[in-house]
Amino acid sequence: MIYLFFILTAAAAILTYFIRVRAFSHAMVFLYIGLMIVMAVNLWPQAGQILNEYFYSDRLGLIFYFILIIVSLFSAIHYVKFVEDRNVKVSDVALHNAGTIFFTGAIVGVLFTSHFGILWAFMEATTLGASVLIYHNRNQDALEATWKYLYVCSIGIAIAFAGVLFLGFAAQQAGHVNFSFTAIKAEASHLNTVWLKACFLLIVTGFSVKMGLVPLFNVDIDAKDASPSQVGASLSSVLMNAGFIAIYRFYEAFSGTSILPWMNKLLMIVGLLSLFFAAVYVLRVKNVKRMFAYSSMEHASLVMIAFSCGGLGYFAAILHLVMHSLVKSSLFFQVSQMHRIFSSKLDENIGSYLRVNPLGGLVMLLGFLSIIAMPPSGMLISELYMFQALISKNYWWVALIVLLLVLIIIYGLAVKMLGIIFLKKNTASINMQGATPYESIMQLVLIVIVFYIGLFRPDFIVDTILIAIQTLPA
Amino acid sequence: MINFLIVLFIISLIYLAKVEMVKSYFTLMALQGVLLFGLAYFELKEIDLIHLIFILLETLVFKAIFVPLFLQRVTKNRIHRHHNVPIKGYYSVLITSAIVIGCFMISYEIHDELNVDADHQVKYFTAAISSILVGLFIAINNRDLVTHLISYLVIENGIFLLSLALGAEMPMFVNSAILLDIFTSVLIMGIFFNKMKDYFQNADSGQLSQLKD
Repeated sequence: MIYLFFILTAAAAILTYFIRVRAFSHAMVFLYIGLMIVMAVNLWPQAGQILNEYFYSDRLGLIFYFILIIVSLFSAIHYVKFVEDRNVKVSDVALHNAGTIFFTGAIVGVLFTSHFGILWAFMEATTLGASVLIYHNRNQDALEATWKYLYVCSIGIAIAFAGVLFLGFAAQQAGHVNFSFTAIKAEASHLNTVWLKACFLLIVTGFSVKMGLVPLFNVDIDAKDASPSQVGASLSSVLMNAGFIAIYRFYEAFSGTSILPWMNKLLMIVGLLSLFFAAVYVLRVKNVKRMFAYSSMEHASLVMIAFSCGGLGYFAAILHLVMHSLVKSSLFFQVSQMHRIFSSKLDENIGSYLRVNPLGGLVMLLGFLSIIAMPPSGMLISELYMFQALISKNYWWVALIVLLLVLIIIYGLAVKMLGIIFLKKNTASINMQGATPYESIMQLVLIVIVFYIGLFRPDFIVDTILIAIQTLPA
Repeated sequence: MINFLIVLFIISLIYLAKVEMVKSYFTLMALQGVLLFGLAYFELKEIDLIHLIFILLETLVFKAIFVPLFLQRVTKNRIHRHHNVPIKGYYSVLITSAIVIGCFMISYEIHDELNVDADHQVKYFTAAISSILVGLFIAINNRDLVTHLISYLVIENGIFLLSLALGAEMPMFVNSAILLDIFTSVLIMGIFFNKMKDYFQNADSGQLSQLKD
């Protein structure tokens, strides 16, 4: 089934590129999402089982796969409006939709592969797909962002490949080279730890660009700014999840070795540094999309910090990623609408949004409350778990630093977001035709799901995450 | 012979730091492609014939001929000399030499630490890590976009050398990956490079500063 899925993905992407009727081009994306749903139905009963030599129906992969379907569907619906509003050239629509299918297919590969080499190849493919999406607007900003993204991602992917080769050295010394997760995990305790450390360091460095973490975060921010909002939503949610799962696979494989504490320290340092940079930039940023991009960086940092604690932290990290994907997507979708109304993405040009567009303002308000982890947002729960994990490990000083940096970020976000939502400003022109209630209602649905998870913590999600992380040390 | 080729490769790295004419970069890339072809042949001649032919074609046809010609065509000889280099001339040669010496010392140190069997792995390590670091140095030290592309290729060549240190363990996987990496990245970056020139007067990364906070 999964090979057939990738064949159909390639065929759909090629066919979509040649379709020069907007409606049919959009229809291809919706058909593809239908195919993804069919595959989800097929994969779910096989959760945790090996599908073939190179793929398995991993539970963590399935969790992120469901998020991918939701975000892709909402993104496709928003893109139809985006095309209609801007009267995008049909050739650009065709390329974008083909790129969307290619990008989504590559992420599916990252989620379900059971082989480190294939994982790397699919990550490379996400770079190419994302570049097509980022270049959509065909202006100077888009060109600059795409060039930087391509260049830095290529370097990052090359660094990650060096990491895979180091793993090869370690395996070679142990007598065999097999890059499947199970083989490496079974042999990991016999492998030379210096190679494993070098491998993990390079993997975290290389894939940091996908998660939006230190050291290669800059191009990710530019990409989210210069691309259409629905692309920013995908980069902030599904691509971040893919980056996380790539790092997670290596972490899981090496977690039975003596380098586990070292890996945890590395992830904590990366998380803290990223949080620091997010706090510094969020205070000075004026562009709403960049502000949300730095907010994504903050949440990616929190995920890494939680994950580095182990135990409860693993659960907190994955739950946080799930909820962040939904909330941040809805906020990016809403920015598109805000841009249509105010013709600007600078916070100084946008004001009284709740009065101008009540439904959109409500999305902004509830989304803002969610990303700062205010009740009843589910993100409060995952952040509380994170602090609990930190304190249970006696990382008091880390907890204090995180608390301080998070407070700075909340202050930075609040000053701008509350100004946008409530404050009357000298806005140049307001185009009320840009307000589309059906879009805002869809975005509210995503936020309400996060509230629901926070309030009721459904067994389906909690159990799936708990089973997924069973393979990690307690 | 392998020693000779590795030494030549390292000399080409040092020379890269000194080059000012953009055209010379393409020549050096072609030379590195030929050197990698020689190294791949001597290192992997015992693997099965089809894999060997694939790897030799990759190095000779792709790295030594196609990519330099493609880049030359992309730049259309409009860019002759790169400029705005913070560290100039012989200083950059000194830094590159220091990188090579440092890499040799590190490789020699880890030789014992890691129980690496064959001595020649140390040589590959020296050349590979030097190539990756020199690539990064060139990227930092130059603002021309075409030089950034060259620096990326130098890094990829370093990774190819690293894969040769693995010997005949998994040549197809490694080389397919490197081929995919270079093919997609260079081709797509080449296409974007052309578009950049339509927007910007010259191919200087200093002009890419529209996106900021």
